[in-house]
Amino acid sequence: MPGENGTGPPALAISALTKRYDDGTLALDELDLTIPDGAFFGLLGPNGAGKTTLINSVAGLVRVTSGSIRVFGHEALGDGLEPLAARTLIGLSPQDVNLDRFLTVYESLLYHGGYYGVSRADAARRAEEMIDVFDLRAKRDTRTTRLSGGMKRRLLLARSLLHEPRLVILDEPTAGVDFELRMELWRYIRLLHERGTTILLTTHYLEEAEALCEHIALIRNGRIAALDTPAGLRERYDATSLDEVYMKAIGATADHVEAV
Amino acid sequence: MTTMTVAQLRRQSYLSLFWLAAREALRVTRLWSQTVLAPVVSSLLFVVVFGLSLGNRITHVGGFDYEVFILPGLVAMAMLTAAYANNSSSIFQARNDRYIDDILAAPMLPWQVDIGLTLGGVLRALLIGGALTAIGAPLLGVPIEEPLLLVAASLAAIMLFASLGVIVGIYAQSWDHHSFVSNLVIQPLAFVGGVFYSVDILPSPWVELSHANPLFYMVDAIRHGFLGASDVSPLVSLPITCALAAAMFGWSVWLFRTGHKLKP
Repeated sequence: MPGENGTGPPALAISALTKRYDDGTLALDELDLTIPDGAFFGLLGPNGAGKTTLINSVAGLVRVTSGSIRVFGHEALGDGLEPLAARTLIGLSPQDVNLDRFLTVYESLLYHGGYYGVSRADAARRAEEMIDVFDLRAKRDTRTTRLSGGMKRRLLLARSLLHEPRLVILDEPTAGVDFELRMELWRYIRLLHERGTTILLTTHYLEEAEALCEHIALIRNGRIAALDTPAGLRERYDATSLDEVYMKAIGATADHVEAV
Repeated sequence: MTTMTVAQLRRQSYLSLFWLAAREALRVTRLWSQTVLAPVVSSLLFVVVFGLSLGNRITHVGGFDYEVFILPGLVAMAMLTAAYANNSSSIFQARNDRYIDDILAAPMLPWQVDIGLTLGGVLRALLIGGALTAIGAPLLGVPIEEPLLLVAASLAAIMLFASLGVIVGIYAQSWDHHSFVSNLVIQPLAFVGGVFYSVDILPSPWVELSHANPLFYMVDAIRHGFLGASDVSPLVSLPITCALAAAMFGWSVWLFRTGHKLKP
């Protein structure tokens, strides 16, 4: 499937992706998913559906059992330099805070840029830019352990965007974030999207997904249960809101699983 | 962003490695009073207590004054324990706080991640070894008879213990595991590895058992670099140290390549 922005490859092409954990849990079951270049894509599902496993598989943080992941045409799995090309294009804001306790806000951004091959001058410039964008100026030289929960969340987002990735993955980015900050974050993410960045978002706020996402996939038991535009999903499930679609799609899948 | 060429990707991955090593170096230098000063002071106290004080009651060991004999062993012990402790604690912390994910997701090859994380322990060991040598050698009149051997043996032994620290940092499930290896494996082996005495003076079977202790060869090779004399030839001790270092480094690279214990 070509990218939406042109004839290039899709931002993300996942084929028959399976992940079975060491304890036997099947988190992803032959999952197929394609996200066009430039899309604002929502991934919704209940806890344990496989959202974070899917995201971490794309980011190279999970040992995938089988399948293929291509990021803008670059194979993300396996050895050699090819997966590095894929990783360079990804920016991940994880669900759980994972900041380096020895670094300040500025250093966290600077070193992250370095890890992603950004030159010192560019990383320093981008770090200052992100500090302003995410209103972290007053905490610039504060160690990450001394930040409030909201500040840590801002820094995670700033870090994920520092190297200007083409595919930004936001795993529950607004969990525990106050309304004002949530609005600010979405304003900036929308701006990034308008500039051509592909966004993959997981969230439990369905109204947020409905307002932001052009395409939405519902995931359950490691498989995609439904995928369409918000309007297409409402029409298919004869629903008036995404909440209703969610209940019908996820509930229907659950009934189906129980019947099987 | 246009598609990167192989050469650009390779260059970028080395830049990433440089930044990771710089981060580990920053950790060492930012905590310098704990990472460098404390081990240097405690080793110098060993010199004062065992060398200058109790050493007066011992005439010569291996043809050298006692304080001259023990300094190379103390330098070796301080460097090796620091290389291990630095990396095991740094990596366990990174796993515990999960910021290792930011490194594992970065565009670096597995061996580059390993090297980047290993270099922190190497730097810390070299700072400690350098400081101890700079202070202790002129103070006690310890020569450096074979500097090339000293550098080669030190680097190989440090690499071995820095890699061991990486491995333990990856396998450890708690801080106790990290301390267990340090207190119940490395320290005892160092003490019976000829730091304070020549194993040649031991009766059988202790002399043979000492030769089965890998730390004995490292201490002995480093001592030969300082004093030009040792219990076994450096033609034996240096290759053994290098082989063990290569095996340990290979193990740590394997962990990063497979993601074993690092990725679910």
